[in-house]
Amino acid sequence: MELEKASARLAPRSPWQAVDLGTKLYRQWAAPMLWVWLAFTLVPFGLMLGWSLLADTLWPLFLFWWLKPLWERPLLAWYSHALFAETLTLKQLFQRWRQYALPGLASQLTWRRFSPARSFNTCVWQLEGAKGEQLSQRLRALNSYPSNRAGIMTIVVLHLEQFMAMGLMVLLYTLVPWQFSLEWSDWFYDQSALQMAIASATLYLVMCVTEPLYVACGFALYLNKRTWLEGWDLQLGLTRLGRHRATRTGATVLMLLALLLPLPEPATAQPAPRNEEQQQVIELLAGPDYMPFEERTERQWKNRDDGNNSWLEEFWKHFFDNLDDDEKPEPSSRPFDIPDAVLWILFWTLFAGLAIWLLIKVLDQLGLGSRNRDNTPVIPTHVAGMDIRRQSLPKNLRQAVETALAANDIRLALSLMLRSALANLLRRYPVALAAGSTEQQCLRNLKATHGEPLPILYLQRLTQAWISTAWAHRPVDTDAVRTLLADWEQISTEEAAHA
Amino acid sequence: MTQPTTLADATQLAQDIEHHLNQVLIGQQQVVREVLIALVSGGHVLIEGVPGLGKTLLVRSLGKVLELDFNRIQFTPDLMPTDVTGHAMYDQKSEQFRIRRGPAFTQLLLADEINRAPAKTQAALLEVMQERQITIEGKAFTLNEPYMVLATQNPLDQEGTYPLPEAELDRFLFKVLIDYPDHADETRLVNMVLDGTIRASLDVESLTHVTDAAGLKAMKTLSDSVLIDDEVLDYALRIVRATRDFSGLSHGASPRASIALARASRVQALFEGRDFVTPDDVQQVARPVLRHRIQLSADAEIEGQTPETALGRLLEQVEAPKQ
Repeated sequence: MELEKASARLAPRSPWQAVDLGTKLYRQWAAPMLWVWLAFTLVPFGLMLGWSLLADTLWPLFLFWWLKPLWERPLLAWYSHALFAETLTLKQLFQRWRQYALPGLASQLTWRRFSPARSFNTCVWQLEGAKGEQLSQRLRALNSYPSNRAGIMTIVVLHLEQFMAMGLMVLLYTLVPWQFSLEWSDWFYDQSALQMAIASATLYLVMCVTEPLYVACGFALYLNKRTWLEGWDLQLGLTRLGRHRATRTGATVLMLLALLLPLPEPATAQPAPRNEEQQQVIELLAGPDYMPFEERTERQWKNRDDGNNSWLEEFWKHFFDNLDDDEKPEPSSRPFDIPDAVLWILFWTLFAGLAIWLLIKVLDQLGLGSRNRDNTPVIPTHVAGMDIRRQSLPKNLRQAVETALAANDIRLALSLMLRSALANLLRRYPVALAAGSTEQQCLRNLKATHGEPLPILYLQRLTQAWISTAWAHRPVDTDAVRTLLADWEQISTEEAAHA
Repeated sequence: MTQPTTLADATQLAQDIEHHLNQVLIGQQQVVREVLIALVSGGHVLIEGVPGLGKTLLVRSLGKVLELDFNRIQFTPDLMPTDVTGHAMYDQKSEQFRIRRGPAFTQLLLADEINRAPAKTQAALLEVMQERQITIEGKAFTLNEPYMVLATQNPLDQEGTYPLPEAELDRFLFKVLIDYPDHADETRLVNMVLDGTIRASLDVESLTHVTDAAGLKAMKTLSDSVLIDDEVLDYALRIVRATRDFSGLSHGASPRASIALARASRVQALFEGRDFVTPDDVQQVARPVLRHRIQLSADAEIEGQTPETALGRLLEQVEAPKQ
């Protein structure tokens, strides 16, 4: 890396000043970055949108969003070269794709996908190429205190992206001619393919702006952190001084030669020039270029001596102190004494839960989920208002029916038989029924689902007798009821033997 | 002309009428059945469907098969109430006011695109539909029986329309949804036109009279004798009452809906050849009776529900009659 070729002044800045620098970088190269973004993402987005529309599912679009770390890699590669006066062509970007896109990508697409400091850490993986323990040490060093604010920057850009997408949707809505009578709610919440296509295209258009901006800001934060830690500004200053010195030494030698030639006494080495150069270096480093004196206002959490901080204060303090990855604040500044291991376990539990939930949703979508495999209808407890639970039925059906017949209550006798028959048949021949299903609906569903085996034909006869008695007020005679009862007992016996 | 004397005759006659109408209106069996039930029940029908599905043809066919007078009014924004009911005009020859009867003086009135006329013109139909009489210059004229208004409205192109007020909607016994015929029926229709079996203009001249106003009146009288068990009647009432506090509905059906549901269930049973009503009959006619009498809540509308889906949920949740 040739720092002297950098087209931006590398000086220690506050994180937000570094973000300003990132914004400046984006504005400087907005047009080429747009082309890079479109070159790498337009085709995948088009394919995934097409897939979504054809399959009527959101998963492909979700996949495109999930791969954002991958789409950001070419942008960072371009920025990192452009800053040091080397412009990569699209062809070169495609040729070097494996070199800059693969390092650390697997972790970024899995357990580090939701890392708020993604824009910052991507620079470490992609530009430094460190691996293993060296990478961990490097990340720890670069994320060390003071915070680089990459996490908050991510939250800001995330909100910017969402607000811009919503704004664009609203703008498009206002442009729809009123003759279409398009409802506001339909425009935003409709589940149709058109709505999905418009919403996705809108978000993609917004990402054409926010993604290069996000990457530029992360890159600027990375440069800033390295400037602080590795003294890039000093390195550059000394390099410039070295050149200046080389130029001045040559002139001095010539001047000394001119002066010394007429002198009668032999010349000796003088220590003065050396002290003068040292003084110049000190003055240069203390000058406004390297030690800028500026008035700065910072807000810091103040530890109260009385220890009566409100829980809200403690929460926000804890939130901001722990927002960025691997930040190690002083132990004394921790408001809650929660061990790292507990936080770590909590985080991974939440992540694993989310991953399992997503997996189940994907499997369900693909028709491989347990919900799809188990299509057995739930056996209802009531049909046509009749309680068909076993515990509600008489233990001795024949006795209960005979008692009802003795009382000349044909309707009760048939009701008992119908409940008993339904309770048994619906276990053997399950069908989907609702509380409002009538006995005829039940029969129709049974026939439609299971055809017309003997038990269902028996149920048909029984239902006809029931309808005639209950709704037509033409009770069947007792002999017919006894025949139906005998037939049911025979069917039950055969069913039991068969089972 | 056939006049039924028993329930079996009435059922046979109903099925004959249904058969004749289905010869002309292909692929709309459900619509034909619902319109006939409304006619025998003595109610009016609001038909909703896109243009070109045979709404006018249905009414003309009905008039021909039943030998009833038929008039059609195309509702427009400038239509006046007197254009519907009629008015008194001064006859210079006799130097007296003479009543000029409007198109509402008929037996089958097709009010085409009723929601295109302003409220005062729509309201002119209120008295006609409810009282079955028309008052002109203070003089009431009773209409001939049977009398039925078949109003149509287009679910699309709602710009510049005047939605019917609830009070007027409640006057319609049924709201019938007419949709495109399925593929097989549409193929059959096109083939019949191409073969010359029916003419492209779908005229009704080929239809023959099946019965007349007297036959229809006899059917109505016989339908009143169809038995409805207390449990089944209670089921019908529970369905209507459930609409008043059902989640997703902001406005339920009135007691007029309960009467309509019970009455239509009886005619449905008659059409099925039964002299008693079953819970299935109630369910069959519940949707056309209730779909225009309920109003979805704002939340339900935002969620994309329709009166059909809400009624579907309601019918699933209201328990069928207990033993």
